[in-house]
Amino acid sequence: MNMPGKKTDLIQGTLDLLILKTVAHEPIHGYGIAQRILLTSKEILQVQQGSLYPALHRLQRKGLLTSEWRESGSGPMAKFYSLTASGRKDLQEEKAQWQRYSGAVALVLES
Amino acid sequence: MRFPWNGMETDLKRELAHHLHELTAEYERRGHSREEAVRMAKREFGGSEQVKERCRDEWRWAWMTGIRQDVTFAFRQMRRSPGFAVTAVITLALGIAANVIVFGVLQAMILQPIDVPHGDRVMTLSLTASAFPFIAYPEVRDVRDGATLLSAVAAFSFENLGLETGGVTRPVWGYGVSGQYFELAAIKPFLGRLLERADDDHPGASEAAVLSWPAWKSYFGADPNIVGKTVRINKHPYTIVGVTPEGFYGTEKILLPSIFVPMANEASLGGGDWLEQRQVKNAFSIVRIKDGVTLPQARAELNTIAARIRRQYPAEEEGLGFKLSRPGLVGDTIGGPARAFLAGVMGLAGIVLLAACANLGSLFAARTADRAREIAIRMAIGSSRWRILRQTLVEALVISIAGGVCAFGLSWISLTGLATWHPPFDYPIRFSVLPQPSLILVVLLISVFAGVLCGVTPLRQIFNTDPNDAMKSGGTKHFGGRRWALRDVLLAAQIALCCVTVTAAFVSLRGLGKALTMDLGFKPQNAILTKFDLGQAGYSSEAAGQFQRQLLERVSRLPGVKAAGYANTVPLGGGDFSSTNVFSRQTADFRASNRAFASYLFDVSPGYFAAAGTPLLAGRDVSFADTAKSPAVAVVNREFARRLFHSGGAVGSYFKNRSGLPIRIVGIVADGKYLSISEDPKPAAFYPISQDAITLTTLIVRPWGDAADMAATLRKVVRDLDSSIPIRESSVWNSELAMSFFPTQVATVALGLFGAFGLLLSIAGAFGLASYTVSQRLRELSIRVALGAQAKEILSAALGRMLILLGSGSVVGMVLGVAAGRLLSAIVYQASAQDPFVLASVAFTMVLTGSLSVAGPVRRALHIDPARLLREQ
Repeated sequence: MNMPGKKTDLIQGTLDLLILKTVAHEPIHGYGIAQRILLTSKEILQVQQGSLYPALHRLQRKGLLTSEWRESGSGPMAKFYSLTASGRKDLQEEKAQWQRYSGAVALVLES
Repeated sequence: MRFPWNGMETDLKRELAHHLHELTAEYERRGHSREEAVRMAKREFGGSEQVKERCRDEWRWAWMTGIRQDVTFAFRQMRRSPGFAVTAVITLALGIAANVIVFGVLQAMILQPIDVPHGDRVMTLSLTASAFPFIAYPEVRDVRDGATLLSAVAAFSFENLGLETGGVTRPVWGYGVSGQYFELAAIKPFLGRLLERADDDHPGASEAAVLSWPAWKSYFGADPNIVGKTVRINKHPYTIVGVTPEGFYGTEKILLPSIFVPMANEASLGGGDWLEQRQVKNAFSIVRIKDGVTLPQARAELNTIAARIRRQYPAEEEGLGFKLSRPGLVGDTIGGPARAFLAGVMGLAGIVLLAACANLGSLFAARTADRAREIAIRMAIGSSRWRILRQTLVEALVISIAGGVCAFGLSWISLTGLATWHPPFDYPIRFSVLPQPSLILVVLLISVFAGVLCGVTPLRQIFNTDPNDAMKSGGTKHFGGRRWALRDVLLAAQIALCCVTVTAAFVSLRGLGKALTMDLGFKPQNAILTKFDLGQAGYSSEAAGQFQRQLLERVSRLPGVKAAGYANTVPLGGGDFSSTNVFSRQTADFRASNRAFASYLFDVSPGYFAAAGTPLLAGRDVSFADTAKSPAVAVVNREFARRLFHSGGAVGSYFKNRSGLPIRIVGIVADGKYLSISEDPKPAAFYPISQDAITLTTLIVRPWGDAADMAATLRKVVRDLDSSIPIRESSVWNSELAMSFFPTQVATVALGLFGAFGLLLSIAGAFGLASYTVSQRLRELSIRVALGAQAKEILSAALGRMLILLGSGSVVGMVLGVAAGRLLSAIVYQASAQDPFVLASVAFTMVLTGSLSVAGPVRRALHIDPARLLREQ
């Protein structure tokens, strides 16, 4: 459940998709993912850690993400996530499905 | 300890710490001071606990961590309210123990094979013609010689022997065993050797005897040099050649022999010379089926042997058939009723457990209502309802497993105690119900079942909790005018169930009381029976008649004899007697279908009725003047007269026997029990033995003093008259009957125990709920007191609902109990739940226990100090 934020709430499935896409570029830690999404969506999508971390752990449990501890720029070690092979495949499928879905919604709205 | 989840915990902490660190850094970059940045980052980050919780839920091990947490929480809860915990554990322990004990008995007596090597291949051999497993020794011999599929065939008989050692003679129970008996049992002797085929070759072949381990311990003080010691059995010298191993109790589960002697010596031991008699069915037989042979194959072979015997001895063995059955419970004689009884008792045990679960369930529901506030808070910070329910379940399971552990201990002790207990009378009965380790599994299963049952009772409550509501109302619920909650229903259900067990207990008590004080039609106390068959000593009927009169004269002249008489057999004697068709005087055609009724038939001597203690109600006793030459007469019982003439005045009237002979009724005696104690009143006719001479004799002697000493004297008198007469039995009448009462006594004890359990549970449940109710409403009650309410109003406010529940529960329970009365009468003779005594007792008991259980809370309610209480609250 997202705490009501100043930006739009995200449905769980969509969040998973965004995370996978973000991680696909390069290994990245949780804070970095939230920042990246915020930036790329022009500050519209703000992911709360209350939904982010459970999602990350869930994706990891499902075998779509893998993690390792690395030195981050400054301060404490951070857990970096990267995409697994099945994660990559899943990303493709989810992306295709999302495009189909959003296209359909657009069609209905514009009719 | 480094569990997988420990590492994950640390990782999670570090991961979130890193996020926080980055956030702080971001705020610092935006120009805030260090402290401000930290503060703002923390605020933005929000509750890390909640995040962690969500992450944990995602883990593969999530459920295990959760369970571990729940268990710890459960223990903490128990420590916080020890009273509740102890009550709950004890309640469950009692309920579970009841079921486990019954199951233990069931397993030991019925499910397990007897305790010899490969016990499942040992079967009892008996005749299809009779319900009791008695068989004639020559028939066993025929099977032994003819069967190829049986590896051992043995016979044994159950004897009362006089064992004399060191100058002291004790009556002991022993087995006379045939040669293959110990071969069949396949056991190794503890000391010395066991009896072999050579010992049983012919009468007098051996003077060897084998002691059972318990007898060796108690009568011979576990003498290590017992082998070779001489003793006297029924005045004959015997040598002890061995001791059976500890734990061997013969081949029946409930009989406990002390000594084993060769069966061939039956006659010399005074047991009667029936070894060669095909018609005397005095032996038991067991067989061992060869490995690899199936039961149908063995049965088929036995049928062939039976057919052959029928051909060889068409007169004596007409209709012969063999059957095999599970050994251990005297064939099927006790097996059938025992199974029915145990099934009934298991049902009761289940009821007790259900009641205990209802009790606990209502307590759990009450506690959950208490913790409504806590639950609401937990749900508000993100716990799912399922999570809370799981915690309640775990708490219930923890308590029920603790109860199960206690129950296991309780059952172990009870079963062991039962196994070592001996019934108070002379028969060496024991219950081989030593507990097995598999009992642990049973206990576990039942505990888990009980725990789940209790744990899900707050289900609806939890799922209906609205966090907002619960927090606003401060956690206390309103009671006035509310619908009946689940916990109320549970209490009523529990009271009803307990009432059923209490009713059952009272019904059986009443039944036992009636059975024990029942008028048998004779007085077996202090009378001695001496049984023998003169035909076995070569007497004809007339010669027998003369011998019997002579014997009676001798015995009557003995000092200390109050009354003496004889008959062919006595009532409740196991059925040597016959029944015959009775026709009214007017009948001309004596077909069986024209009969008025069937009546039991006895041949009695003058003085029989006095000796047996049967009151003569009208007319006269039979006399020696009634001979074959004088008119045929008979004495009948009142039921006979009633059925024939529909009135009492039958003396002087006639009936006809099945040959058409008119017989005059000269006397009427009281009714009694003849075949079994549970039969309806039956007609019986007593012919003068001088008109219907018979060699089978039972001498009844009633002394002035104690009967015990007379038995030996009587035997001597018979011997003096003719030493060749084999005396079948000579003992006090009452002890022979005691065995027929035993099942009823057992049933009563068991049902009584369950009734007691049920009562305890009701008290616990009612007390628990009453206390809870009062404590919940203390605030409201104290306000009432402050406003001037009287004691009566306080009580009705506090406990009114509860008393309604108790009352209705009891009524429902009694109705159910009455309905179940028919079921009970199958177990306990003469049990009728509609007996006003029973109903009154049950009502009284329930009221009493109800009052006792609410007494404490009532006192508390009445002594409320409103000022103090309101201040505290």
